[in-house]
Amino acid sequence: MSATLPYGVTAAALIALGLFGLVAQAAVLRKILACNLLGGGVFLLFGVVARRGATAADAVPQAIVITGLVVAFAATALAVALALRLHQITGAATIAGEPESGPRGE
Amino acid sequence: MSGTTPGGWLLVFTLALPAGGMLAAFALGGRAAERIALAALGLGVLLAGAVAARVQAAGAPLAYLVGGRAPPLGIRLQADGIAAAMLLTASVVLLAVALFGRAAHATPPGVAEARAPFAFWTFLLALSAALAAALLGADLFNLFVALEMLTFAALSLACLDGRASQFRSELRYLFFALIGSALYLLGTALLYGAYGTLDIGLLAAHARADAPTLLAAALMTAGLLARMALFPLHLWLPPAHAGAPPAASALLSGLVVKAAFVLLLRVWVWVLPPAPAGAAAPLLAGLGAAAILVGSLVALRQERLKLLVAYSTVAQIGYLFLMLPLVLAGDAEAARRAWLGGVLQAASHAFAKAAMFLSAGLIAGAVGHDRVAALCGAGRAVPMAVIAFGLAGLSLVGIPPSGGFTAKWLLLTAAIGTGQWWWAAVILGGGLLTGGYVYRVLAGSLTVPPATAPQPEPQAPGPARVALALALVSVALGLLPFAAFGLVQIGRPGALAGAGP
Amino acid sequence: MSGPQALLVAAIGMPLLLLLACLHGAARRCMPGLLWIAPLPGLAAALLAADAPPLVMDAARLRLTLGLDAPSALLLGAASLLWSMAGAYAFRYFGRGPGAERFALWWLVTLSGSLGVFVAGDLASFYLAFAAASLAAFGLIVQDGTPRARRAGEVTLLLAVMGEICLLLAFALLAEAVEGPSLAIAEAVAALPGSPARGLAVGLLITGFGLKAGLVPLHVWLPLAHPAAPMPASSVLSGAIVKAGIIGLLRFLPADGTLADWGGVLAGLGLLTAFWGVACGIVQANPKTVLAYSTISQMGVTAAALGMGMALAEPGTAMAVAFYATHHVLAKGALFLAVGLAAATGGPRRLWLVLLPALLLALGFGGLPGTGGALAKAAVKPQLGAGLVGLLAALSAAGSTLLMLHFMRRLVALTAEDPQRRPAPGLLLPWLGMAAAALLLPWALHAGAGLGDPWQVPGQDPAGAFWPVLLGAALAAALARRDRWLGAVPEGDLLSLAGPARRLGAACGTAVGRAEAVLRAWPAAGLSLLVLILALFGLMATAAP
Repeated sequence: MSATLPYGVTAAALIALGLFGLVAQAAVLRKILACNLLGGGVFLLFGVVARRGATAADAVPQAIVITGLVVAFAATALAVALALRLHQITGAATIAGEPESGPRGE
Repeated sequence: MSGTTPGGWLLVFTLALPAGGMLAAFALGGRAAERIALAALGLGVLLAGAVAARVQAAGAPLAYLVGGRAPPLGIRLQADGIAAAMLLTASVVLLAVALFGRAAHATPPGVAEARAPFAFWTFLLALSAALAAALLGADLFNLFVALEMLTFAALSLACLDGRASQFRSELRYLFFALIGSALYLLGTALLYGAYGTLDIGLLAAHARADAPTLLAAALMTAGLLARMALFPLHLWLPPAHAGAPPAASALLSGLVVKAAFVLLLRVWVWVLPPAPAGAAAPLLAGLGAAAILVGSLVALRQERLKLLVAYSTVAQIGYLFLMLPLVLAGDAEAARRAWLGGVLQAASHAFAKAAMFLSAGLIAGAVGHDRVAALCGAGRAVPMAVIAFGLAGLSLVGIPPSGGFTAKWLLLTAAIGTGQWWWAAVILGGGLLTGGYVYRVLAGSLTVPPATAPQPEPQAPGPARVALALALVSVALGLLPFAAFGLVQIGRPGALAGAGP
Repeated sequence: MSGPQALLVAAIGMPLLLLLACLHGAARRCMPGLLWIAPLPGLAAALLAADAPPLVMDAARLRLTLGLDAPSALLLGAASLLWSMAGAYAFRYFGRGPGAERFALWWLVTLSGSLGVFVAGDLASFYLAFAAASLAAFGLIVQDGTPRARRAGEVTLLLAVMGEICLLLAFALLAEAVEGPSLAIAEAVAALPGSPARGLAVGLLITGFGLKAGLVPLHVWLPLAHPAAPMPASSVLSGAIVKAGIIGLLRFLPADGTLADWGGVLAGLGLLTAFWGVACGIVQANPKTVLAYSTISQMGVTAAALGMGMALAEPGTAMAVAFYATHHVLAKGALFLAVGLAAATGGPRRLWLVLLPALLLALGFGGLPGTGGALAKAAVKPQLGAGLVGLLAALSAAGSTLLMLHFMRRLVALTAEDPQRRPAPGLLLPWLGMAAAALLLPWALHAGAGLGDPWQVPGQDPAGAFWPVLLGAALAAALARRDRWLGAVPEGDLLSLAGPARRLGAACGTAVGRAEAVLRAWPAAGLSLLVLILALFGLMATAAP
């Protein structure tokens, strides 16, 4: 059993959990958390990739992960800001329900 | 994989101008932001024109190595034919939207600065920078960052009115886009693991058709499709595009989805070996065909004008995917035509759809609602906007002499040339359905109201002129001489060097 | 660019130039009075530019070709004359005002397309002109804004777009058949018989052009649209625009025996249409609808003549068919003007100015010896003269006489009650001009069209020319009192059967809408995403070595 396998499995589990949460949860905060799980899984995978093959750690995946973390942080901040405004206006933060779409006569 | 080409500095300016403008606008505040944005976007059109002219003249892509370092460690900027063409399209649409936005977001002297105009101009510049990065990047990870920036900027513009329904639909957009980017990033991780680089040029030279590569390609494709809202992954698009203010809708529908499409082409035409790409391309085109038919049918039944236009986007995105099996069919002449047809469809749809959303906004503003069934009198209140809508519709339906017609003609002949009749049927059937929903809007708008109806308030002509100009550009694309179209073939793998347009 | 070539450009350019001038408010306000000028360069081109070397603009392979051969010059001249007279008539009919200005805009677009199809020599400009003529006609039809006009316009538009689709596909097949990038029609037609997709291409061409020319069963829009449009518009619709279909058939289907099998199909469709038009027309009450059905019937005869020419490889078919169609342009255009005039005229003293020429023109369609119509019938004799087809053609001539006598009865019923009602000269003069042209021009053009001395024609087969007229007149007398049959067939006959198709379409739309709503839910989208990844990976893996 290689040293990277547990990390790979964890990454896959995190990604699966995150995807499920994003799709199945309606509450905005849960979706945001699921997003972060998903991102964590992907970044962990980059870590696995960085270890694989090379004896010395590869610097590029680390740079990628750091940049990716910044992007993920920005996304989280944006989502939280939107959710907060939504909560202020409607008193609830959910995106369930059909927002003014659907065929004629809805 | 040569180094910086002559004129490569143009690419740096294309990127740095809107990015620097955004920072300056952020620092200097509302009144200055408007001036900076208009100046930067105006200059952006000139820069994009210069890039296109240099690429056309050189017959080869422009490239710039950041810091003089070559990939895999360095970062490369590159403008090939498709990037130059889409950059020009994007810069013109952005400038038009900025001019359109002056009506709502100008801060005249003596009026206190407000938050919305400040945000509008800053995010417009951010969007411009992100688009340039997404088109000029040559590294799969940099392209991911550019797409994320694009989403954030577009989303912020779309929420500018601050209505609860907007927040809700833009949050849906954000979450679905994040799923897409996670899948895409997963794919890049696999590719990096396999090849140790994410530079498109290096990957194109080394990519094998083995399991990690194919899985990576499948994940990245799915992620990009989620961002492009290809049927059946379109759940977020109609409310997000329909709920946004007209200027933001125009950018979202016209440009933002196209950036993801260019990236998809990079993966499918550059990185993937032709055999697996050709095997899976009919699936994407099939989804595109389903998008055309379902999107158009649903658009035909919409009650709301802006939702109708948004579903039209769902359908028109489908046309882009029809080019894939034609380009990858292995017939050089058909590939050339399909490639040109696809890029022309992307460009003419960008102009036409931007014009359509802007004029839809004006029409809805003039009649006070956007119920398609009750647009009676719009033709009298905002005649120029209705004409713009009609001209844009002409291009979407594919009636000559519009850009949409030329695009569909090229795809049609490529489909016949490669013996793939069924795509021809889809292209033509889609045109008929498109005609149906465009007709619904025009017939309603042009109905003469009863004599007792109140006289419409006169509207400022500026925004309608912008919409009309965009629609006219979309039509005029069909009148370009074919020689000008040689540009988009430059840098395409498989394009014969020196082959005619 | 030589003088005649400049005229070809001006034929299309003049209407477009006037259209451009309409951007200026003052020019727009006086445009209704200028409509009669717009087709004059077309008329000049027909007179001076026939058989001039074609103008080829080979700008980087986008070959734009304008040219005029003898058959299309004939049609172009007649159509230009009709457009000009009808334009003058329209000015008096509408006067000035926003409505007239709107009408003028649509008029100019339709005009440029209608004349453009006669001079276009390449696939791209022909398609463009054809689309302009078909689609812009919508604006002319719905001018009155009544629900009836709107429905007629919608049906027309729908079918016109379907026709465009057929033609676009056919043109793509033609372009594919040609070696190299040329788009010239002549080369495409030359390559057509050897193309692997020959059958499909010819079928699509016949469908697309037949739809415009009103061949059964694609004629349903015509009896709706032509009566619903205002008088001058009906006149050019039935006279000139329908000929876009005929010129298309003439241009794209060579009568040199290479498509003999398809010639038979076209002839069969044409003869069916000829009788169908008569059968549906004689039970119509509105004289304009009767005229529209007569147009259908006449276009059927035209198509039959072309089809037989193709089947028999008869030389001179294109010219003969063009001559027949030219007579129809003039006579049918004139008769529609007469309908508008009859409604505005009272008292026998003035009415004869309307009714007498109308009677002559009407009987001309049945081939009454001495009329231009008789010359037209004689011109297509080599194609339609012999055997069973000859008998059917003669019977259809009898049917035309019957139909046109029915039209005259309906026209008389329309005349104004007030005996003092006098028509405006602005309406009367175009009508008299068109009537004179329809009666006399065939005589003047006959020899020039290579059909021989017109004075020989009446003596050639007097009995064969007379009996269809007499039979038709006898039938008309027999049926004269059967007014209870009027309205037995609704306008657009077969269209009343389209109800179930409509309902089916609506049900499909609803079903698609429901399915789409299901797919738009988050779990469904997540599942689609997963399935998509697996399917993409699977498909790609199948091709991996």
